[in-house]
Amino acid sequence: MRILLVEDDSLVADAIVRGLSAEGYAVDRTAAAEPVPGLMEGTHYDLAIIDLGLPGEDGFALVRRLRRAGNGLPLLIVTARDGLDDRVSALDLGADDYMVKPFALPELAARCRALIRRASAATSNELTIGQLRIDLAGRRALSPAGQVLELTRREWSILECLAHHSGRVVSKERLIQAIAGWDEDISSNAIEVHVSRLRGKLEGAATVRGIRGLGYRLEDL
Amino acid sequence: MKTSDTPSIRRRLLSYLLAPLLLLLVLGVAVDHQVIVNPIYSTFDRSLSRAALAIAAHIRRTPDGQLDIPIPDRPPAPLRAPPQEKFFYRVSTLDGNTIAGDAQLPIVAAGRNSKGLDYADVTYQGLQLRLVSYRTTEAGEPLVVSAAEIPFRRDRAVHRMDVSFGINNSIQMLLMLGTALLGITIALRPLRRLREQIVGCAPQALNPISTAEVPAEVRPLVDSLNTLLVSVRDATLAQQHFLANAAHQLRTPLTGLKAQLEVLGQEASGSPLQARITQLHGGIDRLAHTANQLLALARAEPSAHLASHFTQIELPALIGAVIGNSLDHALQRDIDLGADCQPAQVYGVYWLLRELLLNLLDNAIRHTPLGGHITLRCGIELGQPFLEVDDSGPGIPIAERERVRERFYHGTGSERDSCGLGLAIVDEAARAHGAHFSILDSHDCQGARMRIDFPAPSNVSPAGALPSEKPSKR
Repeated sequence: MRILLVEDDSLVADAIVRGLSAEGYAVDRTAAAEPVPGLMEGTHYDLAIIDLGLPGEDGFALVRRLRRAGNGLPLLIVTARDGLDDRVSALDLGADDYMVKPFALPELAARCRALIRRASAATSNELTIGQLRIDLAGRRALSPAGQVLELTRREWSILECLAHHSGRVVSKERLIQAIAGWDEDISSNAIEVHVSRLRGKLEGAATVRGIRGLGYRLEDL
Repeated sequence: MKTSDTPSIRRRLLSYLLAPLLLLLVLGVAVDHQVIVNPIYSTFDRSLSRAALAIAAHIRRTPDGQLDIPIPDRPPAPLRAPPQEKFFYRVSTLDGNTIAGDAQLPIVAAGRNSKGLDYADVTYQGLQLRLVSYRTTEAGEPLVVSAAEIPFRRDRAVHRMDVSFGINNSIQMLLMLGTALLGITIALRPLRRLREQIVGCAPQALNPISTAEVPAEVRPLVDSLNTLLVSVRDATLAQQHFLANAAHQLRTPLTGLKAQLEVLGQEASGSPLQARITQLHGGIDRLAHTANQLLALARAEPSAHLASHFTQIELPALIGAVIGNSLDHALQRDIDLGADCQPAQVYGVYWLLRELLLNLLDNAIRHTPLGGHITLRCGIELGQPFLEVDDSGPGIPIAERERVRERFYHGTGSERDSCGLGLAIVDEAARAHGAHFSILDSHDCQGARMRIDFPAPSNVSPAGALPSEKPSKR
């Protein structure tokens, strides 16, 4: 997995390069936005981390330029600005995620992992959450031992929805929408029953954490 | 708000109109009195003189050569006086011998152009009288016939005229005053519109006031107000710009230091240096936290954000986002973090409300013991949206509840890794939304319940951001 880091501050850049390298990524770094398209032509990257406050062309302009050129590379924005406007415009322009400095390196690594996983799921139709492998095309989940888990259609729909948003809390309403195609009248209690059964079936591979009054989150063990 | 000693253009106009009008009223009645009093008096004088002439007409010489005036028992009309009136007469010769009537009644000296009739005001038997003396010649003898009456009827007539003039003039004055009042109200209408325009716009907007319909007299005032507004807005923008730069300049090296220490910590894993690196890392984290909180506090100042940042915000979605952000932190402490959301909307600044709720939650997580529980609530109570963070921590003693909102305050037994700005940010952010921040007991009696009550949606104008509404504690 190769990551392109666009960051002008050498102290930050050096630490990110070291930190992500320790996680097993190959990281190339550039201090300015201008050479980025050239770099991308010569090398295949799985992710770009872009600082918004760059000298010369700023991060916004770079994101806009990449997206206009039809580049679908996952883009993670890091910025020292925390205004809502920045956040909205960065995501509107086509960035995939957004982190405000100062952040912790493990958090950055986790976001990178999630973005790369999401992008690869789109091409390979497979998601990996910890020990759990989810085959989106085949509509099946595989245990760490490689066994296919026996899931009902509703349990599968719930797992699929949670997996697409792994690491984030998915509201009950959203899960109800996800399975409402089969059954128009799903109660919140019914969701609890399905989730509880799904949790039992996933045991040993992943877990579904319930957040009181809010929803569920798929977590690896 | 309005006190009677507030200068009011309307009141000044009215009082400056009212005083001259009253003076005019008094003057008018006086002039009318002067104009009317002479004709009335001469009319009554003529009537009095007719009484004297009637008396003269009755004078005849008796066969024995004496002059006699046979006044009947029932005197003729001019001589008949109503009970409240008094009538006196005297017929005398030129040398002062009284022939008939009251012998003491004075005689008016003959005037030059009197044509035989002379009038005077006299005092007789302690009474103010109007007296007429008529010089005539009856039966070949020159005589003076005098008649006098008290001026009761003429005074009453004058008084009646005065009263009717007074009433007449007063009605005119009242009509004029009413017209003036109406005129003033209509004339002041552009000022009222201007006031509504100024009151109607959000205090953070700082938009110049339109001068299109402003009367020429107030134009300079509005112009200088606009100049002030523009300079305040420029200062606000400059402050925001400064804060954005300060944020960038602080956060970038902090990120570098923090990340470098994390890498160093991993590399030194197992060596004696690791403990010291961890210590350093803790220090950097605290520094980063304080820098973030200071920036948030500075940006939460009501002057620092503009009305354009206010949007409709769904509180349940905000709670979802904030829980998603802090869930891992809570789970590390084995805290059961949950929500109890009823639909509620507020008109506010998203990042500010997010900062508010993050700080409340961060504070709750900090003070809730391992294995405790925290619940975020939102909903509408008595028409007012509210946000609540309820924890199972030790709670805040009533004596400390005001002080914990102060900046850099550290309560008894609080950990030193907080910078003491969290609740100050909450306080500031709540005020920017016109909301009220209160610290209560948890529903479970143990623990603290932090509550934000927003104003009812009907008066959502962020008026709470007005500096004048700041409590005086600072």
